[in-house]
Amino acid sequence: MSDSPNSATNGRIGYRYAEQMTPPEPERVTDVAITTHPHVFEVDPRLMERWVLQQQFPNWDSLRIMNSRADHLAWMHRHFAYSVVTGSELLAEVEAESSSGPGGEGPTGV
Amino acid sequence: MTQLDRQGTSDPVAVPFTPGMRDNPEELALIPDEIAREHVVPPSDDPTPTEQFTEQWRNASYNCFSSGHKFCREVCPVTQVTRNESWTPTAFHANVVAMDKGELTIEDVAADYVNCTQCGACELRCPNSLFTGDFYRFRTRTVDVVKAVRAFAVDSGVHQPQWRTWNARTDERTHEPVLGDTPVSQDHVRDWSEGLDIPIGGETVLFVDCEAAFYRTSVPRAVAQVLQLAGYEFGLMGEQWCCGGPAAEMGYVDQAKRFAQHNLDNWRSTGTRRVLVLDPHDYISFTEDYPKYFGDDYDIEVVLVVELFAQLIREGRLTPSVPIERSITYHDPCRLNKRKGIWKEPREILRAIPGLDFKDVDRVTQWSYCSGGGGGLPVEKPDLTAAISANRIQKASALEVDTLVSACPWSERPLGEAGRSESIDVVDIHELLAESLGIVVGGSRGGADGADPSRVETANDEPVGKRGE
Ligand code: SF4
Ligand code: SF4
Repeated sequence: MSDSPNSATNGRIGYRYAEQMTPPEPERVTDVAITTHPHVFEVDPRLMERWVLQQQFPNWDSLRIMNSRADHLAWMHRHFAYSVVTGSELLAEVEAESSSGPGGEGPTGV
Repeated sequence: MTQLDRQGTSDPVAVPFTPGMRDNPEELALIPDEIAREHVVPPSDDPTPTEQFTEQWRNASYNCFSSGHKFCREVCPVTQVTRNESWTPTAFHANVVAMDKGELTIEDVAADYVNCTQCGACELRCPNSLFTGDFYRFRTRTVDVVKAVRAFAVDSGVHQPQWRTWNARTDERTHEPVLGDTPVSQDHVRDWSEGLDIPIGGETVLFVDCEAAFYRTSVPRAVAQVLQLAGYEFGLMGEQWCCGGPAAEMGYVDQAKRFAQHNLDNWRSTGTRRVLVLDPHDYISFTEDYPKYFGDDYDIEVVLVVELFAQLIREGRLTPSVPIERSITYHDPCRLNKRKGIWKEPREILRAIPGLDFKDVDRVTQWSYCSGGGGGLPVEKPDLTAAISANRIQKASALEVDTLVSACPWSERPLGEAGRSESIDVVDIHELLAESLGIVVGGSRGGADGADPSRVETANDEPVGKRGE
């Protein structure tokens, strides 16, 4: 699993406004993409802003999304389906659940 | 002008291309650049309040409305237990689009927006955040949209009865009325620290949220004593008010800003540079709301106590050694795990405590878990909070544990109530660590005294009982 967002602060814990609002100097990786934080690829905002309003991301937020993506992909791989389930089996399962009263959904939907 | 407007093979954009590549045909450079702007639709000369509102939130809402893939549904705690289509992240965005088109008014939709704990699951799980948010520098912002619609409702004079009373009480007492009929007040905000000999002010202060200061006083007592044991210097605020976050969450933004300004001024008056925060909701206020209110003037360092404790353990300044024979699982508080990406440090702390049988559920699975205690939901819809808590407790129960550990005082009351029927004890991580450090915590874990967040005094001091769904 991934690092915590503290990698944005060189491991120093705590939130400091000025630090969070100052992303590392971007590096150009192709004609159309840059990296700010290591492994965070971005469409060059200069090109992007023609079509999509650019939001402000404090450092922690960019890193949260990047780390969560990696965690989610790892999670998906761990939960990879090795068998095929027929629709009728699923429906039977849903019916059995609904007859035992309302309840929350499990992680299957994540 | 877009690619679709152009015709003919001689047109440089007739062939697919990637903007910005250096081997693109030179003619492409002759096409004027356009910048995406807020004013997609020309604003009218005399915009109505609704037009002013949708002008601001149209973009964020179309982001969802034009995608509508609904990956967010199964992680949404409200959707899970209600299956009400009007109470889904998708609907929360679609309504803004409908208001923009003049199909709905704020009066039509305001009550629907109560049904959100602002847990952040939907916006993180949404592919427009998770897979492209950082790449396009544009992500789904359901929590902001829900907060904005609630604020627009309040500005339009559309109030939810319990929220109005709750915030009026908070305004009057400078703290949330977490003890129901028992008044809270400035005179008692430090009562939890009795006998601990903590100074006032100083470079670092510990901020204690209303729920912990008045209801679950065992949490701040545990935190303060662990800090003292580690030799970490800190004080308490001169005059602490509610952080203002709950008012902001329920739409009472002016009040929230006034409270924030008071707290910032108070920190400045005692020379405080660093604020320690034990409650994830406060952490959100101080790292998301306050920066928006104060911008570059915001020079206060905010430190989450869970992160600090994990660090002190790593450095050997704290060594839990008293074995705690419990079979536990950990509840990732929404505002730490989903909204901040903080999930590792609490597990570090729990793994350092001897004797625990820790049955962990990974953080991604827990994106769909919630206590139901956030976003003002227990104030306006206690039954819905209870249904969400019961759902969370069932997940713990399936692991055959005797204890659910949380790191959020606001989750501990509803989870504790739901846990009673399943014989699951709900304990705070700071309390557990203190116990393993040999500290006799003291204070109250709430519960038995009958305090109920859904029972708020009205202006004439008549208690308001629970409202049904
Ligand atoms: S919030 Fe995201 S996942 Fe949910 S419907 Fe909207 S675009 Fe789809
Ligand atoms: S923030 Fe949480 S409760 Fe609110 S709509 Fe999103 S998933 Fe549902």
